[in-house]
Amino acid sequence: MEMNDEARSTSGGMTALKPETVTAVLVLLSAVVMMLAMKLVNPTFGSVEQLAAILTTSIFLVVASYGQGLVILLGGIDLSIGVVMSISGMMIAGLTNGSNEALFWALPITLVTCLAVGLISGLGVALLKIPPFIMTLAMGTTFFGVALGVTAGSSQRTVAPMLQSLMSARLAGIPFPILFILCFLIAGSLLQSRTAAGRKLYAIGSSMVAARIVGLPVATITVAAYAVSGLGAGLAGILLAGYSSSATLDMGDPFLMPTIAAVVIGGACVTGGRGIYFGTFAGAIFLSVLSTIITMLSLSQGWRNIIQGGIIVIALILQTKQWYLFSMVNRQLTRKRPIYTGQPQNSET
Amino acid sequence: MSQPIRDRGRPLPSSAFAGLLCLAMYAVYFFKTPSAFSLTGVTDLLNNTVVLALAASGLTLVILAAELDLSSVGVIAVTNVVVATISTKLPAGAFLSLLAVCLLGCLAGLLNGWLVAFLGLQSLACTLGTMIVCEGMALLILDAPGGEVDAFIMNRLTDTFFAVIPVALLIMGLVVVLWLLFRQTRIGIAIYAIGADPVASRLSGLDVRWTKLIVFTLAGIAYALAGYMLSAQTGTGDPRVSNSFLLYAFAAVAIGGTALGGGRGGVVGSVIGAALLTVMQKLLFALGVAEFYTNIFNGVVMVAAILFGNLSAFVALHQRVRMAAR
Repeated sequence: MEMNDEARSTSGGMTALKPETVTAVLVLLSAVVMMLAMKLVNPTFGSVEQLAAILTTSIFLVVASYGQGLVILLGGIDLSIGVVMSISGMMIAGLTNGSNEALFWALPITLVTCLAVGLISGLGVALLKIPPFIMTLAMGTTFFGVALGVTAGSSQRTVAPMLQSLMSARLAGIPFPILFILCFLIAGSLLQSRTAAGRKLYAIGSSMVAARIVGLPVATITVAAYAVSGLGAGLAGILLAGYSSSATLDMGDPFLMPTIAAVVIGGACVTGGRGIYFGTFAGAIFLSVLSTIITMLSLSQGWRNIIQGGIIVIALILQTKQWYLFSMVNRQLTRKRPIYTGQPQNSET
Repeated sequence: MSQPIRDRGRPLPSSAFAGLLCLAMYAVYFFKTPSAFSLTGVTDLLNNTVVLALAASGLTLVILAAELDLSSVGVIAVTNVVVATISTKLPAGAFLSLLAVCLLGCLAGLLNGWLVAFLGLQSLACTLGTMIVCEGMALLILDAPGGEVDAFIMNRLTDTFFAVIPVALLIMGLVVVLWLLFRQTRIGIAIYAIGADPVASRLSGLDVRWTKLIVFTLAGIAYALAGYMLSAQTGTGDPRVSNSFLLYAFAAVAIGGTALGGGRGGVVGSVIGAALLTVMQKLLFALGVAEFYTNIFNGVVMVAAILFGNLSAFVALHQRVRMAAR
C-alpha cells in the first residue's frame, strides 16, 4: 500500500484513471457503436467473416501508424510513410517476382532499405535541424523519384505466393493477420511504454530542453524513432503487397493521412510527449471500421476525405477540451485521498 | 529598441543570394532556349510563376506569425474546380467566379484561423485536416479532371497588358506593393512581433488571436487567388493538386529568406523564391532531364534551401551578437 502510493506520487501523474487509456477505450467503443448502427440500417452487415475482413484490412494502418505515433510523440511528423509503403511493396514484388526462395533475402533487403529512408529523415531532423514535415515530405518526393526511375513507372509485378497465402492463412481457425495484429499491439505497447528507450521518447517529447539537460541522447533517440517509422511503413508495405498480390507505385498514398488521423484520434498530443500505442491502435481500428462503412454506403472519395479531415479536426478539438475535463475529474477523484499532493518528501517520512 | 524594428523587414541574407541565383538561371535558360527570350516566352514563364508566387505569399504571412499552414493545396484544388464549373455558366462568370473564389478562400482561412487562434489547436495538424476536407469538397464538385474555364479568364489573365507588360507580372507587382504597404500597418508590425515572441507580444498588449485570425484569412484569400490563376492557366479543373506543390510553396518561402520559425523575412523574398523554383523546373526540362530526376532534384533542393536558411540565420545571429558585443 505504502509502495503503491509512493509509486503513484513519484510517477507525477497523480491520476485515478489514465486519460490515454480512457480515450482509447472510448474510441474502440465508438467503433462498436458505429458497427451496431450499421447493423440496424443493414441487417446483413456484421457477420463474423465481415468482422474478420475489417480486422484484416486494418493491419496496414495498425502497423504503419506505429512509427507515426513514435514520431509524433517526439513532436515531429512523418509525411513519407505513403511513399515508403509503396517502395517497400514494389521492392518485395520486384525482388521476389513470384518465387518463394527469393523471399528470404528479399525481405531483409526491403526492410533495411525502408529503415534507411527513415534513418536519413531522422538524421536530417536531428542533426541538420530541418523541420520534420519538410524533411519527410522531401524524402518522400526524392524516393518517389528514385522508385520512378528504377521501375520506369511500370508497376504490377507478382509477389511471392508465400506472402500472399500468409495474408489469408489461418492458425487454429483464427486468421493470421488478426494474430499478427495482437502480437504487434503487445510488442509495440511494451516497446513504447515499458522500455527505457520508449520512456526517453516521452521525456524528449515533453521537453527537449529538459531532456538535453538531463543528458538523454536526444539525437540518437530521434533518429531511432524515424528509422522505426520507416521500418514500420516498410513492413506495412510488404503486408499490403501480400494482400493485394501485386504492387503499384501509388498504393501506399491512401495510408499516409489515416496514419496521422489514427494517432490523433487515439489521444496523442501532436506537440509531443503524450500518447500510447493502444490509443493509436484504437484509432486505426476506428478508421478501418469507418472506411468499411463508407464503402458499404457507397459514398464517393470526396465524402471519404471530408469525413476523414473532419474527424482529425474534431479529434484535435476534443483533445484540447478533454485534458481540461480529465484533470477536473481526476482532481475530484484524488481529492479524497490523504496528503500525497505530488510532493515526494511526504511519502518518505 | 529601434534596432529590432529596423531589422524586422530585412529578410535573411539568403534572399539576395536567391535573387542572383534566379537571374543566373534565367540567363542559362534563355541561352539554352533562345526562343524563350521574347515577350511571349517571358509571359509564359511568368504565368507559370504567378500561381506559386501567390500561394507562397499567403504562406509567408502564416509562417511570419510562427504558424504553419498545409491547407494551400486543398484551397487551390477547391477554387480551381469551382472556377471550372461556374465561370462559363454564370453571366459575367469571370467576375462572379472571382468573387466566389475569394469568399471560399476567406472562409477556409477563417476556419483555420479560428481553429488555431481561438481553439488553440496545433496549426500543422489542424490545417492538415482542413486540407483533406477541402480536397474532398473539390472531389465532390468535380470527381474527375474536366470542366471549362471562361475564355475571358483564360485569355486575359495569361496575356500581356496592352502588349507591353505581362498580366502575371502586374499581379506579382501588385502583391509586392500591397505587402510593402501592409508591412507598415499596425497588423503588419504585429505579425512580426507575434512571430518573434508570442508571449512578449501578448504581454505588451497585442491581440495575438485576432492577428492570427487575420493572417490565416489573408493567406486563404491568397491561396484562392492562386487557384484562380491556376484555372486561368490550365483552362480546366482538376480536383487533385499534387502534394509536391506544397513542397514548392514551402521551398519558395524558405529560399526567399523567411525563417520557418517565424518573425523574420517577407513576401518579396517568397516571390523571388517562386520565380527561382519555376525557372529551375524550366531549366531542368530544357536540359532534357527526365521526370524522376526532377522529383529527386525537388527533394534535394528543398532540404538544401532550408539548410541554407538555417545557416544564414545562424550567421545573421552571430553578426548581431558581435555587433552587440562591440
